Amino acid sequence: MRVLIVEDEAPLRETLAARMQREGFAVDTASDGEEAIYMGKEVPFDIVIVDLGLPKLSGIEVVKRLREAQRRYPILILTARSSWQDKVEGLKSGADDYLVKPFHIEELLARVNALVRRSAGWSKPVLECGPVAMDTTAQTVSVSGALIDLTSYEYKVLEYLMLHAGELVSKGDLTEHIYEQDFDRDSNVIEVFIGRLRKKLDSDGALKPIETVRGRGYRFAIPRTP
Amino acid sequence: MPGRPFSIASRLTLASIVVLVLFLYLTTAALERAFERSAVQSIQQRLKSYFYSLLQESDVNVKGKLLLPEFMPDPDFDRLGSGLYAAVSGPDTEWRSPSALGRDLPFNEAMAPGELRFEGPLKSSVGNVYLLRHGVVFEGHEERPFTYFVAIHESSLVKQKQAFRGTLIRYLGSFGVLMLLAQGILLHFSLRPLRSLASDLTEVEQGHTEELTAPYPSELTGLTGSFNQIIRSERINLKRHRDTLGDLAHSLKTPLAIMRGLLENADQLGPLKSGTEEQVNRMNAIVAYQLARAASSGHKTFAAPIEIDANAEEIVRSLEKVYASRGVLCEFELDENARFHGELGDLMEVMGNLLDNGFKWAKSKVLLTTKSLGGSKGSKTRRAGVEICVEDDGPGIPEDKIDSLLVRGIRGDEQVQGHGIGLSTVSNVIDSYEGQLKIDRSPELGGARFRAIFPALE
Repeated sequence: MRVLIVEDEAPLRETLAARMQREGFAVDTASDGEEAIYMGKEVPFDIVIVDLGLPKLSGIEVVKRLREAQRRYPILILTARSSWQDKVEGLKSGADDYLVKPFHIEELLARVNALVRRSAGWSKPVLECGPVAMDTTAQTVSVSGALIDLTSYEYKVLEYLMLHAGELVSKGDLTEHIYEQDFDRDSNVIEVFIGRLRKKLDSDGALKPIETVRGRGYRFAIPRTP
Repeated sequence: MPGRPFSIASRLTLASIVVLVLFLYLTTAALERAFERSAVQSIQQRLKSYFYSLLQESDVNVKGKLLLPEFMPDPDFDRLGSGLYAAVSGPDTEWRSPSALGRDLPFNEAMAPGELRFEGPLKSSVGNVYLLRHGVVFEGHEERPFTYFVAIHESSLVKQKQAFRGTLIRYLGSFGVLMLLAQGILLHFSLRPLRSLASDLTEVEQGHTEELTAPYPSELTGLTGSFNQIIRSERINLKRHRDTLGDLAHSLKTPLAIMRGLLENADQLGPLKSGTEEQVNRMNAIVAYQLARAASSGHKTFAAPIEIDANAEEIVRSLEKVYASRGVLCEFELDENARFHGELGDLMEVMGNLLDNGFKWAKSKVLLTTKSLGGSKGSKTRRAGVEICVEDDGPGIPEDKIDSLLVRGIRGDEQVQGHGIGLSTVSNVIDSYEGQLKIDRSPELGGARFRAIFPALE
């Protein structure tokens, strides 16, 4: 999952970035509104976290401009102001949720997780496709109830595929959503991850969870369990 | 910069002087006119009576020749230039009274027998005169008509008029002065409440008295009542801000002291971390609580009425976003006459927190109802109140917990509906509007029901 953190307070920005990286996010950061709009338009983020009190351009303005530019990813706003007038204004500008400062990072992660799932059409924190179940809170994957041991990158790739289960996902999509901006990308690595995932999820080759669409990308083929 | 407007007293004085002068001028003119008319009428009478006495003394001989009187009805007819003139003209006759000799008077137009004409003032060589002409025939000599002329100089009339005007101006002038004096006394008397109000205000400003307490005339009670309300709410606000600041500073000292203690005895990281975390949470709760208290403004005296519908919809739309995964439906039952008289922020705080609470705890449904309280047409209320009611179909609040909910303070117990900063903010806002918060079970939905009641202003 690729996240943009827009926050002008460096200590908070860095703490958040470090913690989210640990949680498996590809993190980009911006420290003012103009930078945020530039990045928000360039990169297909999975979620954007915006502090409302920004220099140059207010957070509300950033949210408005991103929505005007047809960016549909979920946006979570952070604000020191807890009045309902401010909350309503923030949500009206196009944000999907708000969090009042100071907050626990666990709370932020839970909201981010829920927003990302919701925008991909999942209502529960456990993504289920037939026998494959991914618990996004605990970050574990099981097949028919048996836990599967995945590396952090394997988990990221599978998470993205399962969130968009049934949809075609290109290699480019995967690299964009899994790696940060400055990362040296090598698409062969994705193929390696897919190969390993197939082996781990489907050791006897009966399930065939990940389909290759020749020349275009991959699709998680097991339908979502409603 | 525009100058200071005239005082009420000088406005009234100026206006009454203008009105009085105009009134006196018109009265004088009307009275003079009436006087002149009656004086002219009396001149006509006088001339007529001279004519009759002249006629009585006149006769004709057998040939029809006019025999004129030997004695004049007034000696002034004999005195040259006396101002009283007579003449007769007819066949073979052209008589002038001695007073008219050598004077050019308009004794020229013959009248038909029995015809009478009174005219004046006419210009002549002796000045303006009033003239009576009368056509006459004598019995047996109907073919020889004569015309009698009697004229009088206007000087007597002018003298009378001048005397009259002098008297009139003296009387009306003193009447005007008396009126102005009375007006002054009246003004002084009527404006006394305003002057005493001004001096009472100074007393309040200087802090000698708390509010405007003296009985004021009914025209001023609206003003003084509102003013007292402003003074009171200002005082309460000031006190609340002072209290909030004091409470904030003092309540932060305890966690700070604990943290300092922890730091000084920090041999191990574990207890330091958990202790600091606990105190940071506590400080955060304190700040949030005091901020909410300070935020509710409670200005209600001159607040413009705010429509509730649009704001409620905005909040619900926001909450539907935030609680999208819960699938809660919010229904409105809004009274279109309901208005909130106060700060928009306060209304948003009350509705936001109550609705948030409803969305958080409802199984599937939240109901927002507003109702206008009192203030219908014809009633004596100055302004209608409003009831904002939020109910849900959640678990509701056990009855034994309701009382503890209404006791203000910070609660960490999020397991029971309504606990937390949100409700204490609502309660603070309602208090500052002298309203009431009622909590019970929703008869319709079965969950909790919160009713924020902002009373009508009497």
